[in-house]
Amino acid sequence: MRSHEFYIWMSYGAAALAILLDIVALRVRRDRALAAVDEERDLEAQD
Amino acid sequence: MSAVRERWFGLTVLTGLAVAALFALWLSPPDAQQGNVVRLLYLHVPTIWVAYLAFFVTGVASVLWLVPRTRRTEWDLLAGASAEVGVVFTGVTLVVGAIWGRPTWGTYWVWDARITSELVLLFLYFGFIALANAFEDPRRGDRAAALLAIIGVVNLPIIYFSVQWWNTLHQGSSVKLTGSSMHVAMLWGMLLMALSFWMYSIGAALTRVRAIILERERRTQWVRALAP
Repeated sequence: MRSHEFYIWMSYGAAALAILLDIVALRVRRDRALAAVDEERDLEAQD
Repeated sequence: MSAVRERWFGLTVLTGLAVAALFALWLSPPDAQQGNVVRLLYLHVPTIWVAYLAFFVTGVASVLWLVPRTRRTEWDLLAGASAEVGVVFTGVTLVVGAIWGRPTWGTYWVWDARITSELVLLFLYFGFIALANAFEDPRRGDRAAALLAIIGVVNLPIIYFSVQWWNTLHQGSSVKLTGSSMHVAMLWGMLLMALSFWMYSIGAALTRVRAIILERERRTQWVRALAP
């Protein structure tokens, strides 16, 4: 693994980072959507 | 999908990716010509497969959404979600390809037919997402984006056959429907990585579709009743 180690780890690191960021973005989006639904539920309960 | 099933699905994908990475980074042998840098193959090829498939799904879903007889909102949602998955995987393919280019070709980037057509694919994804969000009336945006996706599907065979049609630095396909020029152990390692990425992309696309449905339908009774 020694030869070209830098390129190999940089590639796998970049791919892992991209997937990780995608997962974080997905979770944030899902949580925001659920929070919006909760907000609507609260509004309905107030009415 | 229930929360428990979702967790199991996520765990399966992560395990698949971890096993494939273990094989790619440590267990697989170095290539006779390229040495250890061939380990990037296990990342580069599966990610472009996902990128191709995601655009194909975007194109087919766009056709189904545009044709009045088959029009359902689900097709539009699927096209959008698939495009977002495609951006991630096309981006990773291009970055890994550029990094691979440095030790093998001596440069990170060349305006080679295969690489340029893959860059066009990334721009098509960006264009699709930008158009879908560019209009006040979302239906107009969705229609414009769907048309772009249908036209953009033409780029898929261009990418695939570019290495045959033009003189390129990029090597030809190692895996075809008719067979593979790779050693069987390397092939199975790559297929495991591809399967894990495909599973991830399906899960990510479905999660996106669900979030969009929650956003759009949050005022309806059925969403308020179903959402946890």
